[in-house]
Amino acid sequence: MTPPVIETERLILRPNREADFEHYAAFYASERARLRGGLKTRPQAWIQFAAEIGHWALRGYGFWAVEEKATGAYCGQVGLWNPEGWAAPEIGWLVVEHAEGRGVAYEAALRARDYAYRILGWREAASCISEGNDRSIRLAERMGARFDRRFPREGMPDHLVYLHPALEALQ
Amino acid sequence: MSAITVIETARLRLRGPRPSDFEAHAAFSASERSVGVGGPYSRADAFHNFCAMIGHWPMRGYGRWIVADKATDAPLGVVGPMFPEGWPEPEIAWTVYEKAEGKGIAFEAAAAARAHAYGALGWKTAVSLTDPGNLRSQALAKRMGCVRDGVFVHPEAGDLWIWRHPAPETLQ
Repeated sequence: MTPPVIETERLILRPNREADFEHYAAFYASERARLRGGLKTRPQAWIQFAAEIGHWALRGYGFWAVEEKATGAYCGQVGLWNPEGWAAPEIGWLVVEHAEGRGVAYEAALRARDYAYRILGWREAASCISEGNDRSIRLAERMGARFDRRFPREGMPDHLVYLHPALEALQ
Repeated sequence: MSAITVIETARLRLRGPRPSDFEAHAAFSASERSVGVGGPYSRADAFHNFCAMIGHWPMRGYGRWIVADKATDAPLGVVGPMFPEGWPEPEIAWTVYEKAEGKGIAFEAAAAARAHAYGALGWKTAVSLTDPGNLRSQALAKRMGCVRDGVFVHPEAGDLWIWRHPAPETLQ
């Protein structure tokens, strides 16, 4: 399926385009990726990027590209992620360097959570964050999520599973 | 995502992957039969690979189809053109699930995929890559008229043999 386009005050969440990959590959080549799935070569990043697109077809939801309305700049990936073997249906985010520190991920992740609860009917949502990724943990906590459990992963830091407030608690 | 082209042969339908195809793909990926394509894979890795196969379509405008039984629509394998980042050049790839083996299904699907690559996609040449130990896949490459044309050293999988297909004009 083609991802729907949804908006927030400052952002457009839209399907990925081929041009987004350059930013995505640069992120995974940088130290910033170490606590976000690990460093990836360009071919590895390409497969991951393609898998994010394909996740929509298998699950009916997935990651959107986050684009800043004012400038058209690509800010990263935010969306809903639940591949086989994952700890829990997740609200996930990846923010490229130039978009950081302006609440972009927060704004997009709130919108994605709203989509999960209201459009998809999720009863529960988590965010799975590598141990040590303090910036991501702060964002989860800002969204009202609370640490629930550890989820071990092979060859990578444990995921810390943060559970989001249920829809009823947000109303 | 633009629609995925459907191709029909005498016995087969090459169509876009669907969620209902995943179990067959996961079973293949978990089996010893997947050793020749980098396996065996965990269910999580099989899911990742299956997603990436679908995502290849919008990225490149072509990709691998599910080879389905024309009569029952049951998934029999995965065949088609692919060109992921880092690949030496665009490839015609094939994988056949166990129940489809020994019936010429991979040949029938791969020949259709190559005709599509040379026709609709306008490829001037094509290769297929095989694991050096994958004798069955090499036999199919030979049956398709391919000749050995060097080695691609994949950063994770190691050596892969490059098989060059006959040029489009020699197949007409």
